[in-house]
Amino acid sequence: MRMLRQFSILLGREVEALFLTPIHYGVITIALLFNGWSFWYALQQFQGNVEESVRFFFGQSPLVWLVIVLVPPLLTMRLFAEERRAGTLEMLLTAPVGEVEVVLAKFAAGFAFFLALWLPSLLYLAIVKSYGAIPDVGPLATSYLGIALVGALFTAAGLLASSLTSTQVLAAVLGTVFNLLLLLVPLFGQFVGVEAVERFFVELAIWRHFADSFAKGVVDSAHVSFYVLLAGVLLFWTVRSLESQRWR
Amino acid sequence: MISVQKLTKRFGEVVAVDDISFDVADGEVMGFLGPNGAGKSTTIRILTGYLPATSGTVQVAGLDVLDRSLEVRARLGYLPENVPLYVEMRVEEYLHFRARLKGVAARAVKEAVGRAMAQCGLAHMRTRIVGQLSKGYRQRVGLADALVARPRLLILDEPTGGLDPHQRREVLDLIRGLAREHTVLLSSHVLAEIESIATRVMIIQKGRLLADGRPAELAARLQGAPRVRVEARGRRDAVLHALTPVLRDCPEACDADEIGEGWTRVVLQPPAGRDPREAIAEALRAAGLPLRELVRRQFTLEELFLQITARAAEKSGDSMSEAGPVTARDRVEARR
Repeated sequence: MRMLRQFSILLGREVEALFLTPIHYGVITIALLFNGWSFWYALQQFQGNVEESVRFFFGQSPLVWLVIVLVPPLLTMRLFAEERRAGTLEMLLTAPVGEVEVVLAKFAAGFAFFLALWLPSLLYLAIVKSYGAIPDVGPLATSYLGIALVGALFTAAGLLASSLTSTQVLAAVLGTVFNLLLLLVPLFGQFVGVEAVERFFVELAIWRHFADSFAKGVVDSAHVSFYVLLAGVLLFWTVRSLESQRWR
Repeated sequence: MISVQKLTKRFGEVVAVDDISFDVADGEVMGFLGPNGAGKSTTIRILTGYLPATSGTVQVAGLDVLDRSLEVRARLGYLPENVPLYVEMRVEEYLHFRARLKGVAARAVKEAVGRAMAQCGLAHMRTRIVGQLSKGYRQRVGLADALVARPRLLILDEPTGGLDPHQRREVLDLIRGLAREHTVLLSSHVLAEIESIATRVMIIQKGRLLADGRPAELAARLQGAPRVRVEARGRRDAVLHALTPVLRDCPEACDADEIGEGWTRVVLQPPAGRDPREAIAEALRAAGLPLRELVRRQFTLEELFLQITARAAEKSGDSMSEAGPVTARDRVEARR
């Protein structure tokens, strides 16, 4: 109860701070423009074939991955790095709150902001629908789920990056590097030459999760657990990073 | 309220706090003095549970600060050095957030915040953005934050740091008022101000505790009786000769210098309980030496602090918590 109460108090403050930071509006604006353009591009490519376009937009297009990879670190860079730079982390951690609540609240705030970024894309679908092309609901729902799961993972990675430095820019760069590693290492892992290792990496390939399941309306519980667990590990690591700074 | 036993903190090779033990009783106002880098902030951060000790035990309100960190933190209000605050929030909003975080019940928050703002003279600033406040007002916001949940213990790290004399005085008056309701531990390197507030003083340097006691006790222990300064017209030898009967009663060496234009200044240390001023005036009059100044002076805490820390620096490694003999020469050096 106490944890939940403090989590919600902290979450309120973090969400407010996210909305009060001007740079986030820039991030949102650019991401929305980019998403809009990339959806329009998909429609052009597939000559109005809505189903193909939607699949391309959610996961197969490299364009959308730019947003998924770059936006979370920009939303999370401030969360710990700025508190360390300004010294407010000391105020926060000498209040009667646990590190776990602090990390979860910051994660939830960043993640909620990331999700909010995708709300306008529902509008695209509404517009497409108003022209009579009705996209299949199943694949759409799973595509959103997939984006939410990857978003959670990348937000957790960005938060870890932010907890490791007191420079926001460095936190953003580090977060992006983490995300690229998560995205690319499995791809290169497929060319190791040892079959078992290659199979392992194929299973980890985030890109493939989208092409083979999320974009097709399939929810594979293994995939879902993969994202949830990995995000959990990164958040746990963030808590430890926060604790270890006290030991230095 | 606070009990510290054999506390040591190392950062790698550097020993920031070296085997310190002390207690702070309920209702005391403890002044924690030391030059910058002496280990004050480190000790305070350990007390607040922000840093763990390398060895030793620290208890606040009978609770170990590491094992029962959350409970300890719920019982103390802490003002860190440099007063870090969320600059984008408004004063009332910030205090509201902090009060809730510290476990003040939702329906009691408004009243708690209002009271803290009133106590710290912030009522007219409640809608201002923290980042736009002057240093003095930020300090007040930090103080209001420290006391908003009505903790029994206030720990204030350099609460007057970076303030102009006017603001400093306001903050000190504020703390003096708070001391009626709370046990207070405050650190500073400006001594005159602590002298006026603290019921007890600890002096720390290079991580070691040099002295601990009431300001008056410290003064008495370190210097015995107040010194007497005499300025008379005449050569050094003549003045000292005239004062011979008085000097016989002052076993600790005195200091005499010709200060120009025929004047000689003598500083002497009478034994405790003696006031030799009348005898001095009489002796000089009998010798026919004109007298232009005859003053008895108590050390200020500031002078004591300079002495203690300077001597500790000279023979560093030697603990001074048992006050050693202080020579008159030392005192005269410190005065200048």
